Amino acid sequence: MVPGVVFAQQKKKASEEDFVKEKPAVGDPFPDLVVYDPKGQEVKTSSLRGHYTVLTFGCLT
Amino acid sequence: MLVYKSLAHPELVGTYVQPFTLDERLAHSQQAIKELGTTMPWLVDQMDNRLKHALGDRPNSEYVIDPLGKIVRKRAWSNPGEVRKDLEELVGKVKKTTLPEDLKLNVVPPLAQSAPKGDLAPIPRAGLFPIVIKPQLDKDGDLFYAKLRCEADPPLIDEGKGKLYLGFHLDPLHRAHWNKLQKPLRFELTAPEGVKLSATTGESPKSSSENDSAPREFLLDVNSWPADKTIQLTVAYDACTEDLCHSVKQTYVLSRQRDQDGGRAKSAGFRVLTLEQMTQRLLAGDKNGDGKLIKEELNSIQQSRFLDYDFNKDGVLEKDEIQTMAEQLTASAESKE
Repeated sequence: MVPGVVFAQQKKKASEEDFVKEKPAVGDPFPDLVVYDPKGQEVKTSSLRGHYTVLTFGCLT
Repeated sequence: MLVYKSLAHPELVGTYVQPFTLDERLAHSQQAIKELGTTMPWLVDQMDNRLKHALGDRPNSEYVIDPLGKIVRKRAWSNPGEVRKDLEELVGKVKKTTLPEDLKLNVVPPLAQSAPKGDLAPIPRAGLFPIVIKPQLDKDGDLFYAKLRCEADPPLIDEGKGKLYLGFHLDPLHRAHWNKLQKPLRFELTAPEGVKLSATTGESPKSSSENDSAPREFLLDVNSWPADKTIQLTVAYDACTEDLCHSVKQTYVLSRQRDQDGGRAKSAGFRVLTLEQMTQRLLAGDKNGDGKLIKEELNSIQQSRFLDYDFNKDGVLEKDEIQTMAEQLTASAESKE
């Protein structure tokens, strides 16, 4: 395997392990903050309670 | 649910640049929804990226929250296959699994600039990192048709002596271009006493095209910039939209501090893999070492392209199909450079 690819995979694995240990951790409350919907209406993250929610961060590029 | 935040790779696709205002970020999120053709609900982070910061500051992290508002799963990089497993454990299996192709998403291409790129050569930016800039926003002022991208090399960020990149990039949201009959873009820097700059003013060269959209870029040498002092930049330019050229004067405050939300521009952080490296990268997921790949052995981005390369539709990518996938992914990455 190409050394750079191995290094990238090891780095990614370490990064994932670090991330899981960081706060907020599994079992912690999700931070209560105000964000927006795409039309600019305020949304409190606490309003996500009541059902399971998957939140994924992303952007255009 | 997707959370829209600052751009991880400005200028990579569709020449998008970091937005300065919430309205611009909201417009980005609406454009992203169009481009993906998705009907999923979206949230948009505040301009200070507070939700991203509160949740570990990763560009593509993923959380599952239970009905009481408690985090029950988290991962640094989104992985649709793993999320599916999470939800099966937490909620139960579904009778019929929805596949990406079942959604028949109506995707659209990214926004293009309103003029060709022109013939001005870009300034190489390898090894440069974004630094914090504050555009002086005025609610009654002109739009930031062109937005400053400011980058510095590590010696400048760490010790106050090094290279400073100033790039004025047209924002495709505002549909403006440069016109060669107008005055070239000019900038002026005002630095604290003792700070040495290789130039305190600059004027961009003109493109030979009548209209163009290439960024107006400058690379300066800076010396003795204290970490606690800011530099003020004023820029004047004419941004031409469909029927009018707008004479604009705008101001920024530059800080000698790495912008952790600035993302990496394409020429600074991307490396195109060779065909061999791309093939190796695909085969890195070959858990049983049979030289073939099933969908689950690919990462989420590769999985979304699986059906495009499974030509005989047997659910397995064989050697020739893997080779074709590697060739096309390599060619696609090269075309973005």
